[in-house]
Amino acid sequence: MENIGLLMEGFGHILSFNHILLMMLGVTLGILVGVLPGLGAPNGVSLLLPLTFSMDPISAIILLSCMYWGALFGGSTTSILFNIPGEPSSVATTFDGYPLARKGEASRALTLAFVSAGLGALAGVVMITLLSGWVANFALRFSSPEYFAVYFLAFASFISMGAQSPFKTLVSMMVGFALASVGMDTISGNLRLTFDIPELIKGVSFLVAVMGLFGIGELLLTAEEGLRFDGIKARVRLSEIGRTLIEMPRYWFTIGRSMLIGIWMGITPAGPTAASFMSYGVARRSARDKSQFGKGDPRGIVAPETADHSAGTSALLPMLALGVPGSATAAVMMGGLMIWGLTPGPTLFTDRPDFVWGLIASMYLGNIVAVILVIATVPLYASILRIPFAIIGPVIVAVIFSGAYQVGNAVSDMWLVLVFGLLGYVFKKLDYPLAPLVLAMVLGDKAEDAFRQSMLLSNGKLSVFWSNGLVTTLMLVGLALLLSPLVFWLLGISRRRRLGVPKPPQDGTPAA
Amino acid sequence: MKKSLTIACIAAAAASVAMPAFAFEPDRPVEFVVTAGPGGGTDIFARTIQAIITKYELMKAPIVVVNKGSAGGAEGFVYAATAKGDAYKLTFGTNNAYLLPIRAKVPYTEADLTPVAALASDEFVLWVNGKSDIKTAADFIAKAKAAPGELKVAGSQSKDVDQILTSMINDATGADIGYVPFKSGGEAAVQLAGDHVAANVNNPSENLGQWQAGMVKPVCVFKSERLKSETKVAGNEGWSDIPTCKESGIAIDNYAMPRTVWMAAGVDPDAVAFYTDVLKKVSETPEWQKYLADTSQSGTYMSGAEFSDFIKKDETAVSAVLKREGWLAN
Amino acid sequence: MSENSVNGLSRFAMEAAVALLTGAFGIAVAYGSIEADAGWTDMGPGAGYFPFYIGLLITFGSAANLVYAFVKHRGTGEIFVDMARFKVVLGFLLPLVAFAAVSTVLGLYVGTTLYIAGTMIFQSKYKWWAGLATGIGVALFFFVIFEIGFKVPLLKGPVEAFFGIY
Repeated sequence: MENIGLLMEGFGHILSFNHILLMMLGVTLGILVGVLPGLGAPNGVSLLLPLTFSMDPISAIILLSCMYWGALFGGSTTSILFNIPGEPSSVATTFDGYPLARKGEASRALTLAFVSAGLGALAGVVMITLLSGWVANFALRFSSPEYFAVYFLAFASFISMGAQSPFKTLVSMMVGFALASVGMDTISGNLRLTFDIPELIKGVSFLVAVMGLFGIGELLLTAEEGLRFDGIKARVRLSEIGRTLIEMPRYWFTIGRSMLIGIWMGITPAGPTAASFMSYGVARRSARDKSQFGKGDPRGIVAPETADHSAGTSALLPMLALGVPGSATAAVMMGGLMIWGLTPGPTLFTDRPDFVWGLIASMYLGNIVAVILVIATVPLYASILRIPFAIIGPVIVAVIFSGAYQVGNAVSDMWLVLVFGLLGYVFKKLDYPLAPLVLAMVLGDKAEDAFRQSMLLSNGKLSVFWSNGLVTTLMLVGLALLLSPLVFWLLGISRRRRLGVPKPPQDGTPAA
Repeated sequence: MKKSLTIACIAAAAASVAMPAFAFEPDRPVEFVVTAGPGGGTDIFARTIQAIITKYELMKAPIVVVNKGSAGGAEGFVYAATAKGDAYKLTFGTNNAYLLPIRAKVPYTEADLTPVAALASDEFVLWVNGKSDIKTAADFIAKAKAAPGELKVAGSQSKDVDQILTSMINDATGADIGYVPFKSGGEAAVQLAGDHVAANVNNPSENLGQWQAGMVKPVCVFKSERLKSETKVAGNEGWSDIPTCKESGIAIDNYAMPRTVWMAAGVDPDAVAFYTDVLKKVSETPEWQKYLADTSQSGTYMSGAEFSDFIKKDETAVSAVLKREGWLAN
Repeated sequence: MSENSVNGLSRFAMEAAVALLTGAFGIAVAYGSIEADAGWTDMGPGAGYFPFYIGLLITFGSAANLVYAFVKHRGTGEIFVDMARFKVVLGFLLPLVAFAAVSTVLGLYVGTTLYIAGTMIFQSKYKWWAGLATGIGVALFFFVIFEIGFKVPLLKGPVEAFFGIY
């Protein structure tokens, strides 16, 4: 293959002591940015941007992209240890990561997350190496109706009938949709649901909502149980990391499927957050024994982490191959490309192969460096957990509050995070599922925009959603996924009636 | 409701800031408020200025960049407007600073802001898919008239510069071209490259990469004269080879988007003078010229009365379009 | 948790209160959507079209939950949280509210210091100097990371202005 040869040349460009050092620096800074919930990868990358003006483009992109990988890894750490998603895309990791850590297996949970994340990222890079041209052309076939179908598909694969009251699920999901629509509406350019409150025109931030619902909400629950992190204090032994590594091959199927979901969601612009939810939903649905999901099932960590990272990596492909950013972080990097004197776009592959293949090669190396570095930090996190809750609890609160403020530099967000915290506490105690709310907030306004753009494109004809093979297929798969639990449920009832078997315990959408 | 405070604030600000030499000089961090998300045109605009100021040490105080891009930038301008008399906040935007309050019910008015300077003006080009048989602006209009309501233009944001331009095209030619808003110019570029829409009116830098790859091609530029840059950017074609729309079939003379810098109302005039001077120096550096060339913008520096006059003229022209379409907020 | 407890917040009351709250939210959403054009125009749905039905669905779901609360939880004696634990939760929650309030006025650095020092000294009975040192330490750490390292400002108040830091 021609691409393999080019990749080898790329390795030739980047294999130097300085570049490896830059990678480690980038990853370390990225982890820091990822761990702190208020600082996102886009912040971190745009902050480093001025530093790179004097560097050569290859060194610069290595630094920036490695910071991105680091941030993706760092985000899962706080999800697992404190139930606070450091990055939006690590929300789904809290569902099983945090329960597993609470059982005293924090280092196992972290190792599972890091290794599967690394594998996911590698899958994304391999895809970019081998199929970039083909995938870019495929991505061009997507317009608003197809986007809508992808969002619909993601949603359908996650939502299922659970143990919770269906009306509670409904309310939770719809509250999420309603929150997503606050602020300025893209299609009409008008403000809506702001009730003339200036603080609401920027909308309700997804990050503030999850920091409150998961972070503060969990702290309140912990407080109720007596102000202690119970099992989490268990000591971390290096042997545990090793044992987890040996355990990994057992999840090969989950990993493979999550890679595909991640790549799919990364190149269609649904993004890493939706990918992790979808992957989690599919993993839970297809598992024979669902009882452990939401209580610390390893598959519930492996699935979202793998998909998150393979989507995050694949999202760089549109930037390289089409010259359009696939995510906020990619947008910042593209700005950098222009400042370094490169034009992002399809011709970059032919004009500056050294840069493009150097970047791709650095994705391989950078992710390996990142996995090694984050695994090396596991004992550090474990030592944080040995600090008594009386100290670490308030510190976490302070991190959440400053994070909430930094999301939009708004005082009102500090109060909003508190309100969401109370909501999270009460919802969890009353068995309202939180996951549908969060997913609706992620996908709600995107899906609505895509739907209304489709209407504008087709002059208001709904038939646009089955106007070509691609969109029709996507819609049909989505419908099948949406209806399948219902069908299985009905089948199950009729079978039980016939055989007189007692109803098996059912788990629901994770209450997280 | 905010105007009553203005005068009191001027007095307070004037009393509290008194410095020798440069009547005003920032002695603590200056906040650069960007009314767009990271990576957008306005973001690169502000960060380029930050980099140049830092490099030439045009200002002693450190600079902190803050992105407040929600609600089409209204978030940032509201933030600026509520910091009355604050001499440590510069707000970076486009003409959205004065267009937003006209077309949407945002909680600030133009009177809440003090114009500082405009440093560049971004051009608008009519682009079609690379494989399209459209060659001139006249072809495009003829095609639009043959199928009223069927041709769609993709653009960034709603009731913003792109949609206003589309409306002006319809008005000038009698065509009926539809408009589909996307979140950014980048998305509009992909839609055109994938042949899902008939055209877009992106800024040169937003479509450059796709032009070089032959995925899209420029039809005409909305400017009274051709672009100046002679370098060949796509094959043997360069920016200066794009005909003006006026000469090739769409009677729109000049349509550009200024890149502007603002402060809150009621700031000390000395502070405005200081920043105006800093920005003037920025606009004279080679780095700034490189930024303009890389993003194919025109370098038009305006400040003081010249800038205020320009705002009035631009506002009147655009308000007419907004009024015709019934998009006025009040 | 179905012991015969009289002292505590009853589950039924909480279920009903939350249902009423979400119901009110739903009505507000539907009302706000009507203002933003809840119709279906010839160019597809208006800005308020989807939010309007979302609001209606929230209201409908809340009504169902309210009925459910009456049917399932009324008179069962189930408690949401008993008094002793409720006090513990309040003991954690009220300082949070105070933290937000103090930070709003005095900025996040002062808020962080006071909150951490306060909870450590008064709730966990640490020595005053240990609490204060931790509080100041964390605030300083934030300052170094955010303000100096990442150039991302945190909210500052009059105290920083007094010392001329900002």
